[in-house]
Amino acid sequence: MTAIPLRYLSSGSPALTSSTASTSHPNGSNPTSGTRRLKPLAASQRAFLSSALRVNQAGELAATLIYTAQTPHVVAREPHLRPLMQHMYDQEAAHLSTFNALIARHRVRPTALYPVWSVLATGLGWSTALMGREAAMACTEAVETEIGGHYNSQIRALLEMVSGWEAEGYDVGDELRDLIRTLRRIRDEELEHLDHAVQHDAQKAEPHWLLTGVIRAGCRGAIWVSERV
Amino acid sequence: MLLLCSRAVHRCRRAYHSYDHPKSAGPFNAAEEAILAAAYRQVPEHGFTDAALAIGAREAGYLDISTNLLSDGAFSLIQWHLVQQREALAARKAALFADDSSDPSAVAARVEALTWERLLGNTDVMGRWQEALAVMAQPSYIPESVKELAMLADEILFLAGDVAVDPTWYTKRASLSTIYAAAELYMTTDHSPGYFDTRNFLRRRLGEANEFGSAAHAIRQWVGFTASAGLNMLRSKGMRI
Repeated sequence: MTAIPLRYLSSGSPALTSSTASTSHPNGSNPTSGTRRLKPLAASQRAFLSSALRVNQAGELAATLIYTAQTPHVVAREPHLRPLMQHMYDQEAAHLSTFNALIARHRVRPTALYPVWSVLATGLGWSTALMGREAAMACTEAVETEIGGHYNSQIRALLEMVSGWEAEGYDVGDELRDLIRTLRRIRDEELEHLDHAVQHDAQKAEPHWLLTGVIRAGCRGAIWVSERV
Repeated sequence: MLLLCSRAVHRCRRAYHSYDHPKSAGPFNAAEEAILAAAYRQVPEHGFTDAALAIGAREAGYLDISTNLLSDGAFSLIQWHLVQQREALAARKAALFADDSSDPSAVAARVEALTWERLLGNTDVMGRWQEALAVMAQPSYIPESVKELAMLADEILFLAGDVAVDPTWYTKRASLSTIYAAAELYMTTDHSPGYFDTRNFLRRRLGEANEFGSAAHAIRQWVGFTASAGLNMLRSKGMRI
């Protein structure tokens, strides 16, 4: 019930609709032309960018571990889900390596709670998979709902940053544009997982409200902590 | 309040490094830079002292009193040295490593070369460096000194092409900071030609750290393998876990 409207909410907002809209510059400035004027990043903007990359890395790490822990159980019961689990795992692993590379490149400190997230995520994946396919899918549904909203709020903040620069007459570098494009692509893939989970009876998990409520609250707490530590 | 300030500084310095955007302003403004650059030339003779700062201010065309700009006094001069030397490393990297291939197996060797390069940056002020270390160890300057040390370790590992972003990110920086600080202290009493003994000291310490790191890695791998093998065995016995 809560899961599906999110996608429409997010893509209904004009600022978030399509990735092609963002890439065309209103001033028509060409990145290869030599006259680029970029504003130095303010301390608060740098802090935002580093905490955003840090929390995203922690989240994707957790996602790969959840799927790693879930796959053997889910597949043992229902072998036809193997390609789906593999597909979702592969996408999460690609997201993780994207953020690992970004963190190393932009010299951001990784989360200090890396071992804690590893243990908690493996435990979450393992326990929901033990409860059955529906619970495992409900876990995906809950996590991806939170993550989709989380990525959307990051994209929104970045777009605000970009429109602030444009209003002041500054250019916007490829670095930030690429980051927004990457976040949008990853957001869409995460929401695709959400749809898969709902299609595979996530909402038949018993008790669905409790399971998703607890996992979503846990996700929000983990995001809050990872942005800081 | 002090804690808050230092946290704010910490955040803005250790944050996101942009390749597109111009750099934000450094820790010193133009007048301070002029005074410090002139004063730094006096250090071999006058040490990291207020006297050197006063001469520097005069040489830069300011009144003696203008050293009051630098609220930390002599410590600002030390900080100037540390920041200058750290920022110079990036330029020297090109000369040190002719091939720009970021071969991961060469990271340890690159770390050693860069650390040694940084230590050699102290040679001009070596006669005064013990005094400087004493000032840096004063309680009010310890946070700033430790932060600068951490930033140096981060810079060296970044320039060496280390891209690990797991918990070893922390252990590598901590061990490199410790080794650098120890080698720096060792160097102040080293009278061997070309600081030969310091070089060997550094090599031994880094070797030990690498050995420890690979041992820890081996143990982690063994535990992980054993755990998953045990789990799979239980599963093969029909246990649903």
